Amino acid sequence: MESEVNGILVAAHELKAPLALLRQLAFSLELTRNDSERQKIQSQMINVSDRAIRQVNDLTKIARLEDGLFQMEPVAVRAVCDDVTRELTNLFRFNHRNLEVSYTNRSRLVVANRDLLYSVVYNFCLNAMHYSNEESRSELIVKDYYDKVRLSVRDFGPALPTDVWKSLKKGWVEKPTSIAMRPGSSGLGLYIASKFSQYMSAEVGAIRHRDGTSFFVDLKVSKQARLF
Amino acid sequence: MIFIIDDDSVMAECIESACRPYPTKIFSNAIDAIHSLENTLPDLIFLDIMLDGPDGFTLLNELVSYSDTSKIPVVIISSLGLADCRLEEYGVVGVLDKATMLPADIQKYAENYAHGWDRC
Repeated sequence: MESEVNGILVAAHELKAPLALLRQLAFSLELTRNDSERQKIQSQMINVSDRAIRQVNDLTKIARLEDGLFQMEPVAVRAVCDDVTRELTNLFRFNHRNLEVSYTNRSRLVVANRDLLYSVVYNFCLNAMHYSNEESRSELIVKDYYDKVRLSVRDFGPALPTDVWKSLKKGWVEKPTSIAMRPGSSGLGLYIASKFSQYMSAEVGAIRHRDGTSFFVDLKVSKQARLF
Repeated sequence: MIFIIDDDSVMAECIESACRPYPTKIFSNAIDAIHSLENTLPDLIFLDIMLDGPDGFTLLNELVSYSDTSKIPVVIISSLGLADCRLEEYGVVGVLDKATMLPADIQKYAENYAHGWDRC
């Protein structure tokens, strides 16, 4: 019961940030007369609400995971990453950050559920955006890793203190674990990504760098013959 | 000059637009703001508490450590519900909740403080 209440609190806190932001953006829109600035604010409002809606959708999906409703199938991993980066490009730009993509994987198809994999990549990227320094980049890397495909997202931000790193390393797959106790980034996105990865029998992990962190998921290669 | 310190750049821009026509400078972290204080003493600081790296309280401590920065009025803008906290000793002249604040609240502080303050 207690963990359920904690989960609700984390979700409520996480959703408060975009609501507060939308409210302020609506006020800014009211104050602004300049057409191009109004357009920019409108785009920001759409981006913030899209992000919040996606998070609510992901939370409802977590509740449905036990029902086994998500079918596993061969998924073209690069196509999923392309779709995510297309969706997030504007959000990164509004936050003065860049998202770079690097594909070196020879195995194109992985065993996954497309929607869940999309959410994993999306949440990893969003987390990287939160923890990257302004004007810096995040990297979405897809490469072959032994008999799997490793999809990792690296941020370039402040190095994590050892104690925070330890609690993060063991905690983020069990419960939402904040990296820096920041509002709007309670670790819920990483938790969602870990739950979806678990469902797809994919392994998740994190690597600490001197100047940032990488979160990764190792996906099984699909044995189905490539059709393209 | 008004300093706005918030790691959410969209929120910082909202605060900036409410501060118009007063000149502003946005910082996404406390360290950059502290470095900038060496060159510019702002008339007012709008400060978010939860920042990447050192948080807003660290910045408040830094401000009260030096005589020239200790008098800079600070308005805390946060979602943490700090309205009941006594922070006057840190130069905090107001606390705004991100979820309920209005542009008029920000404007009020900008008008009251952005014309300059007693540096003596």
